[in-house]
Order: sequence, then C-alpha cells, then structure tokens
Amino acid sequence: MDNADAMNLEGAGAEPKVNYLTNGFSLRSWLLTKDHKRIAIMYLISVSFFFFIGGLYAATIRLELLTPASDLLESGTYNKVFTQHGIIMIFLFLIPAIPAILGNFLIPIMIGAKDLAFPRINLLSLYIYWIAGAFVLYALLQGGVDTGWTFYTPYSTTFSNSYVMAVGLGVFINGFSSILTGLNFIVTVHTMRAPGMTWFRMPLFVWAHYATSLVMMLGTPVIAITVLLLAIERFTQVGIFDPAYGGDPILFQHMFWFYSHPAVYIMILPGMGVVSELISNFARKKIFGYEFIAFSSIAIAVFGFLVWGHHMFVSGQSIYAGLVFSFLTMVVAVPSAIKMFNWTATLYKGSISYDTPMLYALGFMGLFLIGGLTGLFLGSIGLTVHLTDTYFIVAHFHYVMVGGQVIAYLGGLHYWWPKMTGKMYSEFWGRISAMLVFIGFNLTFFPQFILGYQGMPRRYASYPEELQVLNVFSTAGASVLGLGMLLPLIYLAHSLVRGKNAGDNPYMHPGLEWRTSSPPPTFNFEKTPVVTWEAYEFGPDSGMDLEAAKRREELESTRY
Amino acid sequence: MAEHKHDEHYHPPGLQHQFDDMEQQMDSVTIGMWIFLAQEIMFFGGLLTAYLVFRSKYPMAFAAGSNHLDPFWGGLNTLVLIVSSLTMALTVYFAQKGNRNMQVILILLTMFFGAVFLGVKAIEYTGKYDHGQIPVNGWNKVVKEGEHKEEAALRLPFEVKASAAGSEAVHPNPRGDFHILNDSEEVKPLIEIIVEQKNLGEKGFLTESEMVGYFSEGEFDLVKFTQKVQLFFWIYFILTGLHALHMIVGLGIMTWLLYKAWLGSFSAYYYSPVEISGLYWHFVDIVWIFLFPLLYLLGRHFLAGGGH
Repeated sequence: MDNADAMNLEGAGAEPKVNYLTNGFSLRSWLLTKDHKRIAIMYLISVSFFFFIGGLYAATIRLELLTPASDLLESGTYNKVFTQHGIIMIFLFLIPAIPAILGNFLIPIMIGAKDLAFPRINLLSLYIYWIAGAFVLYALLQGGVDTGWTFYTPYSTTFSNSYVMAVGLGVFINGFSSILTGLNFIVTVHTMRAPGMTWFRMPLFVWAHYATSLVMMLGTPVIAITVLLLAIERFTQVGIFDPAYGGDPILFQHMFWFYSHPAVYIMILPGMGVVSELISNFARKKIFGYEFIAFSSIAIAVFGFLVWGHHMFVSGQSIYAGLVFSFLTMVVAVPSAIKMFNWTATLYKGSISYDTPMLYALGFMGLFLIGGLTGLFLGSIGLTVHLTDTYFIVAHFHYVMVGGQVIAYLGGLHYWWPKMTGKMYSEFWGRISAMLVFIGFNLTFFPQFILGYQGMPRRYASYPEELQVLNVFSTAGASVLGLGMLLPLIYLAHSLVRGKNAGDNPYMHPGLEWRTSSPPPTFNFEKTPVVTWEAYEFGPDSGMDLEAAKRREELESTRY
Repeated sequence: MAEHKHDEHYHPPGLQHQFDDMEQQMDSVTIGMWIFLAQEIMFFGGLLTAYLVFRSKYPMAFAAGSNHLDPFWGGLNTLVLIVSSLTMALTVYFAQKGNRNMQVILILLTMFFGAVFLGVKAIEYTGKYDHGQIPVNGWNKVVKEGEHKEEAALRLPFEVKASAAGSEAVHPNPRGDFHILNDSEEVKPLIEIIVEQKNLGEKGFLTESEMVGYFSEGEFDLVKFTQKVQLFFWIYFILTGLHALHMIVGLGIMTWLLYKAWLGSFSAYYYSPVEISGLYWHFVDIVWIFLFPLLYLLGRHFLAGGGH
C-alpha cells in the first residue's frame, strides 16, 4: 500500500509530521499562501462571518413577524432587513459556501493532485471575495439597501434612495471570485488527476463541482454585465432598463434571471455532491447508478440555463414563452429526481450508521424532496398565479436552499472536519444539533407553505391577525433552528482545543482524501497516489488494507 | 528529460510547483484561457443581447445612430486590429523558435497597433463629445449660440456638405445635453422615411415599438425619437468602452510579455505565456470584428442611395 500514506504503519509511531496547518505560523504565511487548504480555511472563517450576519437579519425578520402589526420595524426598515438578508445569504454565503470551502479543500485531494491548477488565482478569488464583502458591509453600515435581492428596475435605478451602487458593485466584484473558482476547478479536474484517476473513478462530489463550475463560468458573467448596466444606468439616469427612454424593465428581469436561476444550481449542486458522498459512505455501499448521478449533475447544469423564465410568469412575459418555460421547468426536475432515487436505492440493504453527517444527509433527502416537489407547484403556469410572491415561494426556496444546501454544507463540514483539523468533535452534541436543525427548520418553514397558500404576501412587515398563529410557530421554529446552528460553532471550536485526535481515517472510508494524513501535508500526499480502485469501493478491491488500518486506529487511540 | 528523472532537485524553468511536468502545465494554462474566453463571450454576449433587443425594437433610431458614426475610423481600426493579430500570431511563432529579437520587435509592433486603435477611439470619443452625442445629459461640450462656427468644416462628410451650403451651423448646446441634428443630412432622410412608413400603416416596415415609440398623438415626435438614438449611443459607449478596457488590459499583458521576451524566457520548451496572451489578444480583436458591422455599418443604406 505504498500509495496510501494513511496505511503506512511505520509512520504511526513517529513524531507528528509537518502538515498544512503547522507549515508556517506567521500571518504572512496565511495571507500569501498558495495552499488550497489554507485558502479554504480562510474562506471558512469569512463565509461563516457573513452567515452569522445574514442569520441576524433572519432573526430580525422573524421577530418582526411575531405580531401582525409592523411594530418592531417600520416598513422601510423591514425592506432593508429582508433585502440584506437575501443579498448576504445568497451572494456571500450560499454561492461560495460549499465550492469555496469544501470544494477548495477537497477537490485536489480527492483527485490526488498537489494543489489546484492555479493556486495564485485561487488566492486572488479569496481577495476578490473580501473586497466584495467590504463593499456590501460598507453599504450596510451606511444605511443599507432596500430593493430586494433581485434589484428590479426601475425601482433600483430611479427611485430607491438606498446604497444600491455599493451593493451592486459588491455583487459585480463577487462574481469574479466565483468565476475564478469555477475556472480553477474545471482546469484542475481536466488536467490534475492522479494516475489511474479516470473520469468515472472520481467521487461524485467532484462531478457535482465540475457541473457547478460550468454554471459559474457561463452564468456569472451575465449577472456581472447586468449589474454593471444597472449601476451605469443609476449613475447616468439614462439606460436600456428605463421605460421613459423606450427601455425595457422586463429585459433586466430576463438578464438577471438568466444568471440567478442557474445560480440556484450553483447553490444546490455542490450540496448534492456532498450528499452523494455521505449516503454512499455511511451506508458502506457502492453508490447505486454512479453514471446516472454524475450525468444528472451535468444535465441540471445544462437545463438550468433554459428555465429562467419561470420567475417571470406574472411579470409581463408572453404566455407562449411561459408555456415553454413551464415545460422545461418540469424537465429540469427529472435529473434531481434521478439523484433522489439513486440515493434511496443506495441506502437499500446498506449497512447504515447514523453518525452526525449521515443525519444531515438523511435530513437533506427529506427536505429537498419537499422543496423540489413544491417547486413543481410553482412551475405550473396556472397554479403559480395564485402562489407568486406569497410565503409559499419563501417556504419553497428555503426548503431547497436551507433544507438542501445549508444542511448538506453542515453535513459535509462535520464529515470532513476530522480531515481538515485532525480533531474529532463531540458526536453527542453533533447529533443533538443535527436534530435541532431538522426540527427547527420544519417548524419554521412548513407553516409558511400554509401561510402562502392562504395568501400571505412576502416582503410585508405586517399581516392580517388571522395569520398570527402560524407565524408564531414559524418564529418559534426559527429560534430552535438558530440554536441548532449556533451549537456547531461552540462544539466545533471546542474540538480544536480539546477534541480527540481523529486519526487519518476515522470512518474507515475508501475515498482518496482518507488515504492521507489528517490534517494533510502541504502537498496533500507524500507520494503521488496511483488509483487502482473504483469510486466508493468498500471491498478488498479498494486497495485499502482494512486490517492494518484498524490496527493503526487502535495504536493511535492508545497514544492519546 | 530522462536524465533528470532521478534528480529530485531539478526544476525546469517556468514550471510551477503544483504541476508534474511542462506538458501538464501547458495543457492547464491553455484550457484555463479557453474557459476564461468562454466566460468573456458570455460577458459580451449579455451586452450584445441587449443591443439586439433594442436594435430589433427601434431599427430606424439605431440606423440614425449608426449614421452618426464614421465608418472610416471604424474601418481603419478594424484593419489595425487585424494586422495586430498577425503580428501577435508571428510572436507566438518566433517564441516557439526561440528567436528573441523577432519576439521583441513583433511584441512592440503589436503594442503599437493596440495603441493606434486606442488613439483612434479617443479621436472618435472626442468627436462625440464635441457634437453632443454623449448619451448623458450635461456630459457634452457646452456650446453657446454663435460659438465655434468654424468647427462645422471639420465634421463628418455629410456635415461638410451641409455647412458648405451654409444651411447648418453648430447646434447650440448650452447645457451639454445629448442631441442629434434633426435637420442635418444625416437624419432628415431617415425621418422622412419613418413618416412615410407610418402613413403606410400595417404595410410599412416600422416595428410595433416604433409606431408607439416615435410618435405622439400620430405626429412624429423628435424628442421621443432622440431618446431611442440616445439608447443606441448608450449601448455604443458601453460596448466600445468595455472593449477598449480589454485592449488596455491587453497592452498591460503585452508590456509584461515584452519584459519576459527581452529576458529571453521563451523557447520551444516554454512558450505558454505567449500562447495564452495571444489567445486573449485575438479574442479582443474578434470582439471588434463583431462590433464594427453591428455599430457602424447596419442601417447605413438608408442614406447611401440603397433606398428602403
């Protein structure tokens, strides 16, 4: 097993080797690093920071909606609060969360490379993210923005008195961060795979990120030019989105959603990649229908570009266009369903262990199912007239984004935490928080389906008194959800100081990332690995000496 | 390379640490640049979509806008860029040959042509500024009644004719607003065509948007028409401005490349920076090949005796 450093028994008793965390301690060694793992850790800290701010805005929204009157916030302030919640969560949390943190950390390791193809560009994308974040923070501190995260014209160009320019520039700049990340991933997957790591031996996590990167590369430039046109129009007070000049606000919506609909696949595809890993590994079974899951990711990326019009069913788009977009929306549900069926089939007769990451993965399957199916309600051209701009749609996209992406992100973070830090978190608290997130999430958002169906519109600070009971449920659920999200912050931080040493392969999983030390050395592997096994191979073909690995685990555990 | 196989410390010049060999590095940077260019196509594509939407909505106003651009300058720039593509391609050729002197000469030539392009662009922009064709009100040259009469002679061919006849002077523009010359030879025939087509009703070729967009209560409304031309210039400035920005970035890359070539860094074994910079340069040229006909040429036939 000369290619599997983790299985190298001789190394076990020796002094701890230099890993990526201990390879230099100065601030400079972090800020000028070219190591994808260090960049991922810096992303982790920055993205968590914005997640926290976005979460505070969410808490404010739920508190305001506890009572029917607009008593905590005035309507104008409420507009800013939900806008900023959306902008921060989407552009600064959901889009970079899994790709820039887990993808950055894991893709080179999973395919057996020393680093991403362009380490300096990777670092550049982090700095661009910081600059974008600074613009957004500046706007928030100056008084915020109130256009809704969609920046619809002509409100955003002509009428809004808030800091549209600063936030718009932030979004524009942030786009380049995800473009560069996507570019890096595509090239890395093409050229940096280790010997024997064929396309169909790659983990599905990598496939999902490849598809995500395609969307990032082809979608993001369109939002960049759209936001740029919006900013120029706001500055010059002339432009193509202004009906006074013969311009067309609907064109803005087309261009905005041409990116922003595929962007929801940027948000969910990496989550699906994580879940594929978790389901297969914790069922200790080769994933069912590997090729189908791999190609369904690509199919989602392709079809995702053809459905943007379903955001505009009631905003003046032609009815014939609506019919086509409605049909294509149904089509794009198919690859998602393929994934769901394959995951379910993988679980069948698997030897399932309910570790924390697996709890998140199972939670994902339930919540994404609801989120996906309610998406079909909204894609039906008749029903959507009743549901547009109600809490039904708020509940729908939170089921997909939070129930899907955030939960997958937390699952992935827990799963690879021992690899990233070398420490094991408290399994007990992990399970508690996974349960709290699941329960809190459902309590928060399920009532919103009913509220929306009953006609409660989104983006208002006040609502009729009859709807208060369900809103109280929702706010109570948000408190539980908030607690469930804060707990990991505490026990994961605690694990850094007091956590048990995780060992190189705490779960006994066959992926390449588990065949290097934890935390990995700067160049990931002592020797370039040679891959001779298929993905998710748990049998003797995996090239893992399972007995030796077990013995090594025992040795490790007696050492500490 | 075989003799270096067992020497762990040997590191070929130009090979980054994350790659195993030069071939892998060459593949990576080439794929990377192609993907980056795909991204650039989507970036310009978004803008060209906006252009096409409005061109198809207001073709006559856009024709009026095109007629305010000078195809001589546009054509000259097209020629300049095509020649610069040739010098760039030759640079790659001589980099592969390892011919340092030719590389330096050709990079300098490429940069020269790039600079000529930007210079011509500056002349054109200045002309627009002088004639009140910057689409933002208040951003144009302030011209009071009776000032700068002699400037009319320096104008585009159509205007020279007009000023020779003595019928047209510089349009007074005391606030620096956007305007088009409604009584000039450039626009007059177009307006006549528009009114004529409007009277034909359904049989005419005006689009639905034009039927609404150029007329108030059935009468031709020059203010509304001017706003549509303003949209043309707005798009013109953003398209050509972003293109010029790409040229400036290209010149920056060329400066760096010149330095590296001067040091003699490139050889048959290591020339990927020249190759991918060349890809970028050619891409920027190709964008102009699309911009030139779309902005300068479409719709000119309305004035060139081509009729309708």
